[in-house]
Parts: sequence; structure tokens; C-alpha cells
Amino acid sequence: MWFLNPLFWLGIAAVAAPILVHLVRRTRARKIEFPALTFVRQVPQRTIRRRTLRNLLLLILRCLAILLIVVAFTRPFFTRRSAAKDSSAGATVILVDSSLSMRREQMFAAAVQRAAAVIDEARNDERLALLTFGNRYEVVSRLTVDKARLRSTLRTLSAGWEGTDYEQALRGAESLLGEQKTGGPKRVVMISDFQASGWSQANASFKLSSDVQFQTFDVGGSNPQPNVAVTNVDAHGVVFGQKYLENLTVQLSNFSDTPRDRLEVNFQINDQTVEKREVTLNARETKVVEFTGFNVAEGANRCVIEVVAADFPADNKFYFTIRREAPAKALIVESASRGRSDSFYLQSALSLNDALPFNFTVKTAGTVNPAGVAENALVILNDAGSLSSALADKLKKFVQDGGQLIISTGPHTDANSFNESLRDVLPVTFRESVQTKAAESVALTDVKFDHPIFEVFRESGRLAAAHVFGYLRSEPKPAANVLARYEDGSPALVEGTAGKGRVLLFTSSLGPSWNDLPLTPLYLPLVHQMIRYVATTDEGSWYGLGQTFRVAKESKGDPPAVDSPDGTRLTDSRLTPDGDLLVTGRQPGFYRLRYAARPEFAAVDLNPLEGDFAKMDFGAFINGVTGGSGSAQGREANRSFTNEEIESRQKVWWSLLLLALLLLLTESLVAQRIKVTKMVG
Amino acid sequence: MWWNRRTTTETRDQTTPSAPPASPGPARFLDPEVLARIGSLELLARAVVEGFMSGLHRSPFTGFSTEFTEYRQYNPGDDLRYLDWRLLARTDRYFIKKYRADTNTQCHLLIDTSASMRYSQNGRISKLQYAKFLAASLAYLLNRQQDAVGLVAFDEHVHTHVPARSRTGHMRTIFGQLSLLEAGGETRLAESLHELAEILTRRGIVVLISDFYDRSERLQSAFQHLRFRGHDLVAFQVLDKNEIDFDFEDPILLLEDSETNEQMPVLPDVVMSGYRARMREHIDEMRRCAAANRVDYEMITTDQPLDFALFSFLSRRVEK
Repeated sequence: MWFLNPLFWLGIAAVAAPILVHLVRRTRARKIEFPALTFVRQVPQRTIRRRTLRNLLLLILRCLAILLIVVAFTRPFFTRRSAAKDSSAGATVILVDSSLSMRREQMFAAAVQRAAAVIDEARNDERLALLTFGNRYEVVSRLTVDKARLRSTLRTLSAGWEGTDYEQALRGAESLLGEQKTGGPKRVVMISDFQASGWSQANASFKLSSDVQFQTFDVGGSNPQPNVAVTNVDAHGVVFGQKYLENLTVQLSNFSDTPRDRLEVNFQINDQTVEKREVTLNARETKVVEFTGFNVAEGANRCVIEVVAADFPADNKFYFTIRREAPAKALIVESASRGRSDSFYLQSALSLNDALPFNFTVKTAGTVNPAGVAENALVILNDAGSLSSALADKLKKFVQDGGQLIISTGPHTDANSFNESLRDVLPVTFRESVQTKAAESVALTDVKFDHPIFEVFRESGRLAAAHVFGYLRSEPKPAANVLARYEDGSPALVEGTAGKGRVLLFTSSLGPSWNDLPLTPLYLPLVHQMIRYVATTDEGSWYGLGQTFRVAKESKGDPPAVDSPDGTRLTDSRLTPDGDLLVTGRQPGFYRLRYAARPEFAAVDLNPLEGDFAKMDFGAFINGVTGGSGSAQGREANRSFTNEEIESRQKVWWSLLLLALLLLLTESLVAQRIKVTKMVG
Repeated sequence: MWWNRRTTTETRDQTTPSAPPASPGPARFLDPEVLARIGSLELLARAVVEGFMSGLHRSPFTGFSTEFTEYRQYNPGDDLRYLDWRLLARTDRYFIKKYRADTNTQCHLLIDTSASMRYSQNGRISKLQYAKFLAASLAYLLNRQQDAVGLVAFDEHVHTHVPARSRTGHMRTIFGQLSLLEAGGETRLAESLHELAEILTRRGIVVLISDFYDRSERLQSAFQHLRFRGHDLVAFQVLDKNEIDFDFEDPILLLEDSETNEQMPVLPDVVMSGYRARMREHIDEMRRCAAANRVDYEMITTDQPLDFALFSFLSRRVEK
């Protein structure tokens, strides 16, 4: 048993009051000389003895009532530890939440203090383990009975920057408890602010074993702190022009129930403010702000979106990078023909958008220098006819090394030659050429609108309006991804990979020879989407905290040195077999990649959900984690929080006061009975 | 408490004989508390008796052994019962016959001076004081009627004996001895009465003043012994009011027996009802015992006026 207000034990002195009264009244018996003692003696003495007993009963009742009132004021409560004192020693895993949200106020210090209390309360022979957790867990100390070491370790802990994943933490705890082979009770103590974002009932897939008691301590308080955060930025990590022509979208969220008026949003590039906006966010509202048309310097640019708000500052900034590169070379290979080039429509379409990352060159298959193929980032075989073996070999190597290849067929395409020469990179095996009858055509069907190429056509439905008069029937290879088909089921657009490169195959023509696509409004966006798709790199504008990113090695062969956002040099990096560096983002901000030529940057940002301090549905969490089938004792233990909360839930003082009231009522009845006896007697 | 008070009142009504309607004037002077302030027993007795007699001038009690002394002129307002009708018939004049007391009666006043007579509650007069006042008043009254008055005081044994005389100077002896009496010793009332029955050889009136804390069967034997000797026996049982009511405000008391010094813790509110019942039984037994032996018995409490006792005494004498 513990007491919330132990100082009230001083009130125990009040018990002396009825005792003193009793003693004083008892010793005040006056001595009187009385002649008729004979008659007094004849009165049955048991009456007097009963009265004495009643007086003693009254004294006990009064003392007990005062004692109960005093105890009630001390606000007693029971903890599981005190209930389980007699059980044999077991194992306890202490989980301390070290996520970003624990950086609020003195929350982490309170968690450490609570953990120290758990250690202190544990039996000397109980084995204890210590884990910290955010998105992942870290074993600070395995099961041990060395309390002193645990306490000293505890003092070295600090809150991190990660998000919260309670399930991961519990998995770690259960794993550690598996090391306990000697039997005895197993217990998991979780100390956290219990954010709702840390656990999803819908996605919950882990439950603690039934023999594990789960105890929680909430150090987050009952009123979540209001918070505004920049939760996402959608930007192209690489641009090829000076002006950023796309929309850079910024997502701002208000995680509190009070609206926030006229919040200032700053957009900075390389520490220079580019633009400022004012945004009003209603309660629990997420708003998107767009920036566009700003200039981007050549090379790597450090970009920051900051919302100016006097609340939790850690998530008010969002870091990302935009690197401006020179456009890459792209080669369009066509067949030699008289008159208008087969690539006329293609060239026209590609020249209408400056944002495309390529400078295109059109050549016939015969004029292409095979050795120069590797200089390009993209090659488009536009009804190129038969390819020389040298060119075919270079193309295969080009794809294998990471080059992008788009193939479109047409009347000049020799299916057999392609099957033979590009067999290793072709996603299909070509069959016969199909030509529809006059005035007949086939349409594109079975289009995968969730693919990046077709997603812009999802709502229009116009793709079905295109008329295809001719195509090469083909059979997709097992690894190929058919993105669209003709009405007879033959693949129309097929995606495949070979080595590091990618191949996109359109089995009809990109000119008007076999379809009327170039004559429709669909042509331009379709071609642009295909080009963008193959040009897309994996490089984003920012990484999430805990995400590992690759830092390419220098041209000389060694990876660059990397400085973390706080300026410290990273030393625990890992290398890929290719010699690239793997860096895991552990801090929000810019990692400086110290290349010899010019520095690069990698931006790392916090988990956007970590800024939402709303409390989880605790009942659902307990049921979800314990399976709702734990023992009543276990469930009761789950309801333990801080001492105040434990006491508040148990309300022992209320029962004590009620009992004291009943005792006083009984005392009154007994006293009244004695009084009536006296009066009647 | 009101019901407690009511109970007390009822108890008193049961144990106290009906008192005469004493006139407020004289009664005030016969109050024992007032009389206690008079230092001389003689003065006290005179005040009592004179006040008492003047209050009875229209009463039928003019004396119990009276004889004719003289005539006097009738005055309007005189009792017509004493008008001499024969003389009126002979002389046609109105004369009233006057009488004086008989001087042949011998009366002994017996006072119990055992330790139990020392008791008084809350500073009121003790039972022995009351007994002395009563004895003095009776002695004065009897002497005024020319009766011979003697005094006997006893506790375990007779320790004071003043033989009965009728001369006026004898009163000083009586009063002197009365004033010297002090309470002490144990009560052996029956034995003392037997002893007195042997001492008082000449028949007469014996007035016994005591609290009668003895067993009734033993007293009955003593009464029979005195009656056998030819005495008219008048018994005054003097008790303190609190001896009857046992009404103490203290929640607890340590009672000490006056004679044996035995101590006993008592809760008055618990003991009260049982005690009262037993005291009632004792008084009733005393009354039955007295009636059975033709003893004039009267129970008086020390807060009652003395004229009540005198009235009771005279009224019973007249009936004889």
C-alpha cells in the first residue's frame, strides 16, 4: 500500500483525543460517603459491566473512525508490486518511449524517473531489462539483476527524433522475455505518452503472450499540447531548368482543437527566404500550400519550409533538397525513308515541353554510331527497322548498364530481327504483324490506370477512342508487365527490365502509320508520360527519419565523408558491394555529403504523424495488445498509471470515509442507547 | 430530562405521605435550612413550636390531655364548640371554657447517632441535624404542655441518656445534650432498642428518630419489645432526599459506606432504577412493620419543613 499524502499521518495524533476524554472522564469519579450502600450493592453488577463494555466499545468506535478519516486523507492506494510481493522473482522488461514526442517539456525526464522507480520497486532477485523505443526498439540492457548498472544506464538516456511504434517495442520486449528460462512471472512495463499515432487498431498484428503481465505508465498528461507542423513536401528532387515550373506542394497540419490564424510560412533555399505565405488553419485541419516559379541554382540546393508557431518547435521545419542538373542526351533512332520523318510527330511532341530532362537527337539506324549509344540516357527506337548487330549489342549493354529504352514498332520493324538481336532486353517475343481491314480498327483495352503512365487518363476515358490499324502481335515474357492490350488480348504497351535498365515497348507505331494516336489530343500527354516515366530516378527530395539512403562513391572510388545535421562526422556507415555508402538518417536536417568536386546534401525529416499528440484509445490498445483474454489481474494492472491516477481510479479514501461515517453512526446509536437507558433507568 | 424529572416526581409521590397544606408564612420559618442558621436549639425549638402553634389557632388540635382552667368572655370569632352552653342557659352570658395540658405523660426522645446519620447531600443539613431539630422542637412542645421529656442517643450502644423531667430548666439539659451529639459508629438499631426497652421502665411515649438502616424483622422484634413494656412508640424515619432518589449528576461515582468505609464504583444512571426500587421496598417494609406493631411511623426527608413532622405527631396523638 502507498500513500499519496503521507504527511496526513500526523493526524493520527487525533486518535488520542477520545482516549484522553475517556481517561479524564474515567478518573473524574467523585468519592462520596453514602449510607445506603447496601441497596446499591444489591443492584446487579452486570449492568455496570455492560455499561463499561459499551463505553469501551464507544471508545474503540471513535478511535477507529478518527483513524479511518486520517487514513482516508493520506489517500492510500495499492499497486501491483505490493500485491505481488509474495510471488517468486520473475523478469521485467522496461520500455521507455524515446520518440520525438517525448521531447515535450520534461516528459522524458519524467519517464526516466518512472523507470527508476520501477527499478527501485523491483525485488532484488528480479531480472530487469531496459529498452528504448521509437519506430524501432533499442536494447539498452538485457535481463540482469544488477540494479545499480541499470540506474546508471538510465541516466545516460535521452529522447530521440523518431516516430512511435508500440508494436515494435512490444515485440522487442517479448523477445527479451524469451530469454527468461527460470520461470516466475513475466512483466512488461511501458512508459510513454501513448500517442494515438503509435498504434493502429486496424493494422495491429501483435499480441503479448498470455503469461506476460502488461503494465503501463502514462507520463504524457491528460491534455495534449497544441501543435502545428509541416507534415509533407512534394517536390522534384532533380530539375533540369533554372526555373522550377512544377508545383511544389507543402502540407501543413494543425493537430490541436483550436484554430490557428495567420500562421507565417517561409520557404527558404540555401538559407535565403524565397517566399512567405500566411495560412489560417482550422482545428484539426490539414492544408496544402503551393510554391512555383522560383529559381533553382545549379547543383544541390538546401530547401526549408518553416511554419512560424510558438509550440513544439521540432516539427515546424521541413527539409528537402532540389538539385538542378543539365538535361541528358537522348537518341531517337528511326528507319531511313523518303519524305516526312517517321519521328515528326514524336519530335514535335517532345519539343513542346522544356521541363523534359532530355535533349533529343534523331538519327536513322544506319547512321547511328554504336559506340556513341552509351553517351545517351534514353534511346527511342521508333520503327527503326532492322538493327545492325553492333548497334544491337551496344543497345543491350546500354540497357544492362542502366540506360532507358523505348521501342515502338511500325511497318518497317522486322519482328524476327528484333527477336533475335534484342532478345535479352525485349520484354516480349514478337509474332506476326496484324493489319486490320479497311475502315476497321482495334481499340486499347485492359489499361492499367494505376500505372504512372496512364494515371492521368484515369478520368478521361479517351484512350478507348484511339484507333489502331496495325500492330505486332507479341507474347509477353514472364517478367514483363503488360500495361495495356488490344481488343484481341495482344499486348499493346509492355514494360520490362534488363540489368539496371528499363525497356518500354509499344507494339504499334508512335507515328500515324498504324494508328491515329498522333492525330488525337491523347498523343502529347501519352508521349510525355512515357518519357517522364523512363526518366524518373529513385532519388527523392527528402528521406524520412530512420530511412537509409545511398551515397554514391566518388569518381576516384572512395565514398565521401558525411556530416550529420549537428555537424558531427558519421563513422558508423556501411558500404554496399559497389562501394557506395549507406547512411541511415537519425537526425532531422541536412546531411552534408562532402564530395571533392562540390558538396551534396541529403535532407532527413521527422515522421509527420509524431507531431499529433492526441491520446490513443487506451482500452482498445490494452485489449489489442493483451488480446482481451488476459487475466483480470492482468487487466487491472494495465489500468495503472501515475500514482495520482492509480489513486484516483481506486478511490480507497472514499470507502474509508464511508466506513468512518458508518462507524460514527454506530457510535451515535450506541451512545443514544446508553443515554436512553440512563434516562429510563 | 423531562421524563426523568417526571419519574422522579412520581417516585417522590409514592414514598412521601400526604403533607398538610402548610401556610406559607410560618412554613418559611420552619424550613430546616433556615432553622439551621439559628445557633441555639432552644431558640430554634421555640421558633418552631410557637410558629407552629400560632398557625394552628383555628385547628382542632388544642392538646391531647387537656383540663379546664378558666372562663373568659366570648369574643366574636371564637369557636362555638368551647362555648359553655349551661352557663349561657343559667346566666344568659357568653363564656368560653379554657383548658391546659395534662402534665402526667413521660416522653423519651430516642436519636440514632450512627455514622449513617451524618449523610447530607450538597451541603444541606445532615440527617442528624434534622433529627436534633425535630427532637428539640418536640421536647419544647412537650415541655410547654408540662410533659416530662427525656433524651436517649445511641449508635451501637446507648451513649447519652437524660431521664425524663417536666420542669422548665430540664429543657436546657436536653438542648445541651442535643447540641453535643455527633454521628459515628455503626448502626445496631435493633440491639439498641432492646437495650432501651430494658432501661425505660416507666411506660410512656417513645419517639424514635433514625434512618432505620436495619433489617425489618430485627426491628419488628425491637418494636415488640418496647410495645411489651407499654410504650406508645412514634417512629420518624429521617432520610436525605437523595437517599431515596439516588439522583446524581456525575456519570460515575465512588461511593464509600459511611460506617464500614467500603468503597464501590457506581454509574448512577445505571444503578438508579434498581436502587430506587430497593429503597421503596425497604420503606414499605418499614411501614408494614410499624403498622403491624401499632407504631406511629412517619418517613420524612431533611428538606421537609419541621412543622410537617409536628403536625404528623400531634395528629396521631389526637387519634389516640
